Amino acid sequence: MMTVAALRAKDYKSDIKPVWCPGCGDFAVLSALTKALAHLGLPKERAALISGIGCSSRLPAYINAYGFHGVHGRALAAASGLKAARPDLTVLAVGGDGDGFSIGGNHFLHACRRNMDMTYIVMDNEVYGMTKGQASPTTGPDWMDSKMTPHGPGVRRFQPAAIALAAGAGFIARGFSGDPSGLTRILASAIEYPGFAFVQVLSPCPTFRPDHRDWKEQVHALAAEPTGNAVEAARILQADDGMTTGILYAEELPVWQPRNQASASIVEIEEEFRL
Amino acid sequence: MNAETDQTIATVGELLAHALELELESAERYRELADAMQVHNNPDVASLFHRLASYGDAHAREVKQRAAGLELPTIAPWDFKWTCPDAPESACVEDTHYLMNRCQALQLALHNENRGQLFYAGVAGSAPDPDVRFIAAEMAAEEEQHVAMLQEWLARERCRAEEPPEDLDPPNVSE
Repeated sequence: MMTVAALRAKDYKSDIKPVWCPGCGDFAVLSALTKALAHLGLPKERAALISGIGCSSRLPAYINAYGFHGVHGRALAAASGLKAARPDLTVLAVGGDGDGFSIGGNHFLHACRRNMDMTYIVMDNEVYGMTKGQASPTTGPDWMDSKMTPHGPGVRRFQPAAIALAAGAGFIARGFSGDPSGLTRILASAIEYPGFAFVQVLSPCPTFRPDHRDWKEQVHALAAEPTGNAVEAARILQADDGMTTGILYAEELPVWQPRNQASASIVEIEEEFRL
Repeated sequence: MNAETDQTIATVGELLAHALELELESAERYRELADAMQVHNNPDVASLFHRLASYGDAHAREVKQRAAGLELPTIAPWDFKWTCPDAPESACVEDTHYLMNRCQALQLALHNENRGQLFYAGVAGSAPDPDVRFIAAEMAAEEEQHVAMLQEWLARERCRAEEPPEDLDPPNVSE
């Protein structure tokens, strides 16, 4: 399929040099995201990237669009507020597995069920990298390479895709930073999806999880077309080994968007709270 | 790479669109790696990646000159008919490390040039259009020259198996 795109990916890159470790999968996510934005021809002034805290949450600084590097775990809260106030913007929340599923876990659940029109990209490296390698919610129970958990975390992994489905998300996908073209396609589809689109990106951490080099051999594309049937999606996700890539579920659901009309002026609100 | 679609490159315009993307992406990736090395205090490898990026820029200009007067198709990022997961001459991010040395960087570049050569050779051997085959064969020959140049460069570097360099600021500090 031939398509027309006037902008190139580099047009969306800022002049700030990423501080990510060479070899980090987040570079590929940055590349795929800028390619998706260029492919969609989204004007820079119409896009906003909102993040929390962590290595991957630095991504908004590296993109030439509106950005907000916010508070740990609160990317979705800030992004939801922005989308409520400025529905005309294309809002993307980005971050890592610790930020999104632990500190921000509750926001994740409610963002899924609220279904505002935004995209949430989680760069999942199964570790807290910025704080030097502690187990995160998606770390396997037997990972013993951190002095904080010398015998392994000992708890089952958080299952982001299955939980997103249970919480009511209408678009659930998984990409791999080692498949840049496939990831670009997924991100473009997520941005175009009318509603809350959740994309878990397997993004290796070469510094604290060198074992992730095996991911290249472990990931495998979903063998079927994306399903719009939640029961079928649940079956796929329950049988999934966590390494299946592709759009795992896509169904258009009612989008929640608050009314924009102010019901009171600032003066009236201030008057109401006057002591 | 999209295995589900027809991988045949049918027209000269399509071939040149691939060639341009290959060189632009290669240059951009090397520049990105150079920045990363600079940030991580590896100026020697950073300058080498900058030099490799400048070659990509020069090759992209050559492709643009060759394509002058032609209307190149714009292709979605996932519809390029590469035979590898990314553009053939784009260094794989995960094959880099902040402690990598010039030899390792050159070996990475050699790997990329080999992939580029294989891509063009594949088109030269499979395209139905004789003009596409001819140009692809020329480009494959150019890539062979790049491969030879990098091999000579590597020989001059006198690379040898070394112990991994000491990391004076290791990431895994005691908790």
